[in-house]
Amino acid sequence: MVSTPQKIWIKSIETFPLLILFFISLNGNSTINISFISINIHYIIVYYWVLRKPESLGYGFIFLSGVISDVVLGFPIGVTSLSLLFIAGAATYIRVVTVRATLLNDWMSFIPALLIANFTNFISLHYSSYPLEYIYLLKSSVFTFIFYPILWMLFSIIYNLIKKS
Amino acid sequence: METSRDDIGIVIRSAFLQKGTQQRFSLLALSIFSIFLIFLETIEAKPLNKVRSVVNDLVYRGAVIVSYPSKVFSDSYNFFENHIKLYKNYDEIKKENTDLKNNISNSDFLELENSQLRKLINEQVESDSNLVSARVLLDDKSPYLNSFIINIGTNKKIKKGMAVLDGKNFIGRIVDVNFFSSRVLLITDLNSKIPVISEPSGSHAIMSGHGRSNPTLDYLSLNHNIKDGDKIYTSGKEGIFSPGIAIGEVKIIQNYLEVLLFSELNQITFVSIKLKENRIIK
Repeated sequence: MVSTPQKIWIKSIETFPLLILFFISLNGNSTINISFISINIHYIIVYYWVLRKPESLGYGFIFLSGVISDVVLGFPIGVTSLSLLFIAGAATYIRVVTVRATLLNDWMSFIPALLIANFTNFISLHYSSYPLEYIYLLKSSVFTFIFYPILWMLFSIIYNLIKKS
Repeated sequence: METSRDDIGIVIRSAFLQKGTQQRFSLLALSIFSIFLIFLETIEAKPLNKVRSVVNDLVYRGAVIVSYPSKVFSDSYNFFENHIKLYKNYDEIKKENTDLKNNISNSDFLELENSQLRKLINEQVESDSNLVSARVLLDDKSPYLNSFIINIGTNKKIKKGMAVLDGKNFIGRIVDVNFFSSRVLLITDLNSKIPVISEPSGSHAIMSGHGRSNPTLDYLSLNHNIKDGDKIYTSGKEGIFSPGIAIGEVKIIQNYLEVLLFSELNQITFVSIKLKENRIIK
């Protein structure tokens, strides 16, 4: 028999990916900019959770968080949603074709996902006549890739907690 | 080989078309819907603008609630930082105060002279009562856009293109208006191009933002004589903003004329918006 505090704990840990996804969208923190470094944690969250536990992040929620992010950051509505959905698509594809999930596998397969998402982002912003900084796109891709293992380890702890509960 | 190509096709189909466990929508359907939304953004129509306004207002309100804890944290951090700096700044402020007191008498004389000259040429300037105050709701840093959201919109007769001031200093213009909120594009943004004039050299230029903290002066005449410390004001040449709104002062760095702004753009809580320009009536 599971007690009420335990139920709350299980529920909150299970909804963690969704909560963090909407929190960063509403807070405008989908990209962390520290001096020269720029990390898109929105991409990492979507990629990791769709790859490891797809039922915790619905495609509808991913789309909605992208729309919120666009409104908060002043982008044309749909740009971030499209990039995130492509990340989710790449993660789904990799989940189907790989048997064993390891950090190295996930990390290497994150490269094409990141390139596709940033290319989509670039095309949609270019189409919307938005001023683009190519250096920013490049450094965002590089640092998001470099930063991936750190968040991977953090999310793995939460993933194991969900599995245990 | 045929088999492996078929496998890839099956995997792609299952990734994009199938809804999967606990998924209500397919990826392909949502991607098409996103493209449709991007396309809708390029269309300017009154009903669409109303829907956009409602969506924007709702998201902004939600964002204000969610970002409240981080805002409290950053405010407290700034408070302590300012408190520590207070003692350091005291001597500088004291000296500055003495200099300002000396300058006041000088500027009073210039104001009197200015009004007498205006009377002489039969010009009249409307009062400054056309300013409306607003509070900054959100100042989330976007990768490409230097902007923030204020808490008034069409409910206070705000329109696109209006000048936004911090005290008496020009900091940006309104670029997006909703019912209860508006987006202010700051002068440091990549899209910002403002016609300005330097003082005392009197050279006209275009002040361009670059996404960094200081904008630069472009399109200057070849024989301009702008020096370090020259003051920059709006020239009013484009006919949208009033002339003579203070912006900053020039600092020449490696042949680039950068403008050090009078206002600290990341410390702004309240702003004023010029509802109607101070037209000079002859």
